Formats: sequence, C-alpha cells, structure tokens
Amino acid sequence: MTEPSPGALAGLRVLDLTGHRAQFCARLLADMGADVIKVEPPAGDDARRIGPFLDDLPHLDRSLFFWFYNLNKRSLTLDLNHSRGADILLQLARSADVIVESYAPGTLDRLGLGWDTLHRENPALVLCSIAPFGQTGPWRDFIADDTVLTALGGMLYINGFPNHAPVRPLGLQAYHSSAYYGAIAVMLALLARDRTAEGQWIDLSMQEATAAAVEHVAGAFFERGEAEPRRGTLHWSRFFRVGKCRDGYIMHCTLGDWTSLIEWVKSDGKAADLDAPDYQQVMYRYLMAEHLFDVLDDWVKDYPRDELLERAQLLRQPYATVRPPEALFDDDQLAERGYFVEVEHPELGRKFRYPGAPYLFNGTPWRVSRRPPLIGEHTGEILRDELSMAPQALAALFAEGVI
Amino acid sequence: MPAMPLDGVRVLDFTWVVAGPVATRILADHGAEVVKVERKEPPQLGNRKLGLQCDLNRGKLSVALNMQHPRGVELARRLAAKSDVVIDNFSARVMRSWGMDYESLAAVKPDIICISMSGLGHTGPRSSYVSYGPTLQALTGYTMLMAEPDGTPAGYGYSYADTCGGYTGALAALIAIWNRHRTGRGQFVDLAQFEAVASVIGPALLDISVNGRTQPAPGYNSQEGPAAPHGVYKCRPLDGDDDRWVAIAVSTGPEWRRFVTAIGSPSWASDPKFRTLYLRMRNSGDLDANVSRWAAEHSAEDAMAILQRAGIAAGVVENGIDLCARDPQLKERGFWPAVSTAKGTTTNVTGIPFKLSGGSGRVRSIAPEVGENFDYVLGELLGLGRAERDELVAAGAVWP
Repeated sequence: MTEPSPGALAGLRVLDLTGHRAQFCARLLADMGADVIKVEPPAGDDARRIGPFLDDLPHLDRSLFFWFYNLNKRSLTLDLNHSRGADILLQLARSADVIVESYAPGTLDRLGLGWDTLHRENPALVLCSIAPFGQTGPWRDFIADDTVLTALGGMLYINGFPNHAPVRPLGLQAYHSSAYYGAIAVMLALLARDRTAEGQWIDLSMQEATAAAVEHVAGAFFERGEAEPRRGTLHWSRFFRVGKCRDGYIMHCTLGDWTSLIEWVKSDGKAADLDAPDYQQVMYRYLMAEHLFDVLDDWVKDYPRDELLERAQLLRQPYATVRPPEALFDDDQLAERGYFVEVEHPELGRKFRYPGAPYLFNGTPWRVSRRPPLIGEHTGEILRDELSMAPQALAALFAEGVI
Repeated sequence: MPAMPLDGVRVLDFTWVVAGPVATRILADHGAEVVKVERKEPPQLGNRKLGLQCDLNRGKLSVALNMQHPRGVELARRLAAKSDVVIDNFSARVMRSWGMDYESLAAVKPDIICISMSGLGHTGPRSSYVSYGPTLQALTGYTMLMAEPDGTPAGYGYSYADTCGGYTGALAALIAIWNRHRTGRGQFVDLAQFEAVASVIGPALLDISVNGRTQPAPGYNSQEGPAAPHGVYKCRPLDGDDDRWVAIAVSTGPEWRRFVTAIGSPSWASDPKFRTLYLRMRNSGDLDANVSRWAAEHSAEDAMAILQRAGIAAGVVENGIDLCARDPQLKERGFWPAVSTAKGTTTNVTGIPFKLSGGSGRVRSIAPEVGENFDYVLGELLGLGRAERDELVAAGAVWP
C-alpha cells in the first residue's frame, strides 16, 4: 500500500463502542480519515463471532463479517463493566470528538458514562446513540435483530409475491440504513459544533431509519390511505419488472425512449398490441403494466441475457441483467474504476480484495489506511500514547482483566 | 427558531427521481437552502403536495430554468456561484454539456463542492449506461438473492439503491463541507450509485473474494450469526386480513429457554432434536412448523408482545397502515410530522430518524410546485429587477 492521504476527516477522533448492529457507522468515518478506535470487551466484539470466517475456520481474528465493518479502525480492549475500564474510557473521551454507541438504552448511565457525565467532562463531545427503537417511547427496551427491524420498519412486508410469505431483504439493510443516518447525524452535529463549540447527543432509532429507507410506503398511506401490497418483481412504480431470458433474468424498464424500444420488439415480430399509440403515454404504460410486461417477457424469452443488455443500452433503454454478486468481480466498469482494493494482512502473509469506495472524492480520497484490527491490537499504544500510561500500569490492568 | 446545523449553506439541486432528492432532503431538513433547478414540465412523478413527492421535495425551493437556452444556463451558473454545493444525478455528459461541470464551476467559485450521483460513475466503459435504482439492484446481486425458496427472483418492493445512494450523497456533502471549513477547499465527488449499493453487501463480497464461495439466496437464514427459530410466521387474521405475520429471532441457549417458557412450554419444545442451536438449525423445518402452529393462534401484535416481554426479538411484519397509523412507538416519537398545506390543512410526511439534543432537524414546508420560487430565486438571490425577469421569461430562458 502506498502512503495514504490524510483524508477529509483527518484530525477527528472517534471512539466506537458499538456492537455488530451499528459498527458500519464509524467505518464510514474511518474511511474518510477519522481516527476511529474500536473499543471492544476483552473477550472481543460480538461481530468477531459472526461468520463467514476466513477458510471457514471460526476465530476472533478471522471473521469476514468483522473485517468488512472494521476496516480502517484501531482496536482497544477495555472492560467497561470494571470501574477502571470506565475510568479509562472517560479519560479517552476528554480528547475525543465523537463517541458512537449501540448499547441498550440506559446502559451508559449504569456504567457511569451517561451523556451528562460525558458532556461535563468534554462539552465539545458528540455522542451518537443508535438503538433499535431510540432512547424514548414504549418500546425503548425492546430488542431486535435486522430481520425484526425490517419487519417493524415496514420493509419486509412489501417484499415478495402476494399470497406468499414476505421475502427477507439481502444484506442487513436495517443496520446499514441506521449506520448511514448515524454518520450523517454525527457530521451534522460536528458542523453545528463549528459554530457553537458545543457537542450534542444524537438519539437515533433504527426502526425509524428503516422506515425512512422505504421510499413509498408512507406516501401511499398518507396520499391514499392504502397499505402498499407485495407485488412480486413488479416495482411499485410499475415501470420495472423481472423477465426471463434464455439464460437468465433481466430487469425490464419502460421509462426509456418508447419508440425505439417498440421498433426493436416489432422487428422481432413480438410487439403484439404494444405499437398502439396509447402506449406512447407514460401513464398508459403505468396502467397497462402487467399486460405490457407479459408481452415483453414473451419477446425476451429466446434472447441471451447479455446480448439483450448490450443492445438495450445502445438504444439508451435502462435495462439491466439480474446478476449474482459474483459477477461484480468480473465487471469491466468496476475494474476500470478500481473499485475492488487489495488489503494486505501481513500476519497471515496474504492479500484480500475488499469492496472499495462508495464515492470518489478528488481532493481528499476514500482510502484504506489499515486492515481491520486484530483483537486488542492497539491497546498498548493507545493507552501509552494517549494517556501516558507506564508499562507497570498497563501490566496491572492486563492482570486484572481490564484490558 | 433554534439554529440548525446547515444554516447558511446553499445547495443548487439538479437531482430528480429518488436518490438525489433523498440526499438534498436530508440537507434541507437540517437548515440548508436547497434550490431545485427544474424543467417546467418535469416527467409526471405525482402530486408534489402529498405522499412520496412531498416527502422527497419538502423544505426545498424550486426554479424552472430552460437549460436548453444559453441564458437559462447562464442563470444556473450565476446561482452556482452563490452556492456552496451543486448536486446532480445525471450521467457524466450532461453537466459538462452545460458547462456546469466541476472544473467550469470552480473557475467562478473556487471552493465549490460538486457532487455528481450518476448511476455507474463518470469514468469507465459503461459510464453512459442509463440506470435507475431497480436496475442497479439487479446488476449488484440484490434482485437475484431476494428470492423464493425455489430461487425465483421475488423482489423487490422498494429501491434500496436509491436510498443508499441518497444517504451516501448526503454524507459526501457533509464530509466535504466539514473539510472545507478546515482547508478552505472544495472538491468534486464522483458518486456511482452502483458502487454505493454494491459496497453494502460487503461480507458477502468478502466471502466471494476470500473464500471463493458462491452466494446463495439467504432466505430466512440469519445474516448475523446462527439463529433458530428465525423467520416470519403467519398469525391470526386481523379484521379479515389474513396477511398478518410476526418476525422472530432466537439465537442463544438462554434466549431459546425464554422463548419456550413464553410460548407456554409445549411438549414438542423438549424434543432432543431441538436441544442445541446446532440441532435447532439442522431441524429448522420441524421447528418452524411448530412455531407456526403457535403463531397461528395469536394476533401478530400479541405474539410480539408475549415474546418481547420475555426478552425475545420479535416484531409485527408491519404493513403501511400498521406503520403510519398503528405503531405506538413511531407515534410516541412523532415520526410522522404534520406539515401545513397551502389549503390550510395538514399532511403527514416521513420524519427524521434521529434527534439532536441541541436542536433537531425539522420539516419546514411541503414541497414547492415547479418554479414556485421564481421571484425569490431570480429577484433576491440574483438581484434581477422585475423588467429583467420579464424579459428572461419572454426570451424563454426561464419559466415563471
């Protein structure tokens, strides 16, 4: 790896106290240059116990789940249930800009690390609390995993076919939506701090973040009083549906130039009634979506998937192939843009390809500055450099199981 | 009114459809002055004063500029010179064709921040591809892996690529602004929504690149460590609606024991084949059949309450009515704020999922009609007098 640039958030210190549900939040900040210290219990963060594992061998330092969410962070093990541990955290909080935490509401108070204490010790500190249902309300103490959050956020109900069970979204979308909102909220609080010099406490509800990530369900209710149904692969806008080609699936789209699409379908002798002038109107295509896609399905069924995509895009039709995620590794667009990045794991003597930047900043680029930390890898250096702890003090904390 | 984090920040917003408007709505909700530059007759996306379009565009201003007219483009460039952030979600060539690309704008406003949220990015062999959220989900694996048990694609119902793209765009803007406060420098952000949504299937992508494993559709297998029972179970109908489900997640031994007690310690639960987590996962078909029988005797609400009281993660699979009208938690936290309409009534919109102790964001107004803020934008922001404005309208550079 070449020497990384300092990053847009250079100079920002973040203490990441989250477990596996919210750790993507501080990762987003670490990628842009913040110094993120992951504070783990001495037994290791719960994410380290979640697979998949490198070569399928479960081990605290081999969780790919942990790796993805903790790239670019440092690791400090600290037992916050021990009074010395909580005291050390308070000392670190004095020089930190941000703490992100996802404990059950009330836990930080019980540890003597509640907002009032943190704010008194460091008035400029931003505390971001990410909890399944937020810090208030009748469900504040309820628990949830990502599946339960997608249920309670209205995301699960609308996936799948009518009269079948709802289908689970892929990839922890409730957690990710919450993490994005968490990072956004932290940046907003930091920008406010530039003016006021005061930190703030962020109360983020993962249920609300999930509900906010489903763009149209609330609109349908407040506009028409309706509960959006499951529609199979027909997108709620009625302009997209999955079709089956000779060798796989494609995503139809009827928002491109209609004339050129229909000329093509007609030249294949498959247009049926779609060349009727009514279909020129977007609203008519909206109303006739089911029939229209049935005709288009009959048209594409003998096409090879990739050929259909290339020809569609030449006509600027927003078609796409329905691909497995493995296809991303052979994608020429991602390759040309250098999307996947090699990250060296020197302790294993190996390099691995990680998914890369979600955005390319031309001045202060997204970058990999360090591989995900081994458990407690930076405990010694952080306590020595930040808190000037003597070797004997470190040894005593270690012996007592605090670090 | 208390100060908000983005007071004094102006955003010139060329975005449309969903992803871009999601990004700029977050900025508008927190104090930024967002000026939408639109065509007079943008594609019919629905009523601006209600529902989704109100949700996406609330709190923003609108001016209708004719970007096919050189004087319309000139007005846009003058607005950019008075803005902190310019955001678009066109493919790469559009802003360049107007002379509104980063290099051109930085020449008139050196610390400008430009964020382009295109589908596939500004570089690469497929940068000109046309895409929407649902097509990007197809390209990245989401559509294929959200499938029925037999592998038939079954999803999906909303546009995660759009909301992910929108959040990434808002975050990019905030990070760039924070950096500009310190360095005085703006920058260009090339945000490919394709890459933004690909990056959030990270663990699966690592499993492919590191272990070489083909990813199956996960179904109801937990994606965060082993769990069983884990899934949705059909409940008793509610007012004749039999599409009622409860989601349940049980993982550890203590959770399993609490779960069994909560559902009344049925005899099947002591069967040795359910004794350990490993066995419960291996025999999940039988397990789910038993749990389904229990769930069928309860309403989804009761099932959730019984299990949550026992410390088990469980929740109603909420439909739109549950979510917006019945959910007591969202109601208590005021997640569906009311905003006034021009007619003196109110409508509800989606709230902001976080509160700030020093002053939360707020929904300031419903969405503007296209061109609604003509006088403010041309008069106050650009300082054009009435005669000049009329002349620009007559020339076809701007619509009133």
